Amino acid sequence: MKITFETHAGTTLMIPEGRLDFGAAPEFQRQIGKALAGVQAAPAGLVVDCTALDYVSSAGLRVFLLAAQSARRAGVAFALCALQPRVREVFDLSGFGRMMTVHADRATALAQAPEPLP
Amino acid sequence: MNEMRTSVPSEAAQLPVLTHFLQEFWSAASLPPAQLMSFELALEEIFMNVVMHGSPSGALPRVEISLVLAGGAVILTVEDNGPEFDPLTLPPPDVNANLVDRPIGGLGVFLVREMMDAVSYHRVGSCNQLRMSKHVEGPEARAG
Repeated sequence: MKITFETHAGTTLMIPEGRLDFGAAPEFQRQIGKALAGVQAAPAGLVVDCTALDYVSSAGLRVFLLAAQSARRAGVAFALCALQPRVREVFDLSGFGRMMTVHADRATALAQAPEPLP
Repeated sequence: MNEMRTSVPSEAAQLPVLTHFLQEFWSAASLPPAQLMSFELALEEIFMNVVMHGSPSGALPRVEISLVLAGGAVILTVEDNGPEFDPLTLPPPDVNANLVDRPIGGLGVFLVREMMDAVSYHRVGSCNQLRMSKHVEGPEARAG
């Protein structure tokens, strides 16, 4: 799995590409943990852009849950956006779609993200 | 291509091999790509369940996978010679729990049950057999 990062006005965008299965989950967990630790210094948030995320299993859902819980504890905004229909189905069936902040697309997610302090 | 079968040791490193096997079956049978993910997920969840829970100290169980296209449905069977274990007895997760209270885990088998039309467990001789089936759309999903 390829993961790239971008920063938009204080919000970190994490962009995973490919399959988030049992094999990819440990590295994804490491990267998302690092990204969360990075944004904790600033009053901003982390958005995972799932445009290119083709597949997610329970191993991937587990990482999203751990990340969302850890962001909540740290007071960091955490959201997902642009889920493909098949990934969206897995989120909805598991209840994760209701439990987490999921935006339709990147523009909406960035518009909702908290502004960095001046 | 209406039937394919393979067998691997129950170790996590075999997951990509099995996923590839499923994808081969899917394209050989000209099935619609949109419905592949349900089966990829079912295969991963059930296989990893065997890997995590079906290997006591000692010999590694073997896992046999079969895929059959019949009567407009794909039937995926996962059979292992590990200790007796019926994953369908696992309690379902609380999908309405809030973020803070949501426990980690318990989701895999739940997702499989939700995504497949039918799931059944049988103890066959010294093997666990989990059979999953789902109707597939498309002109190529003819009776096998």
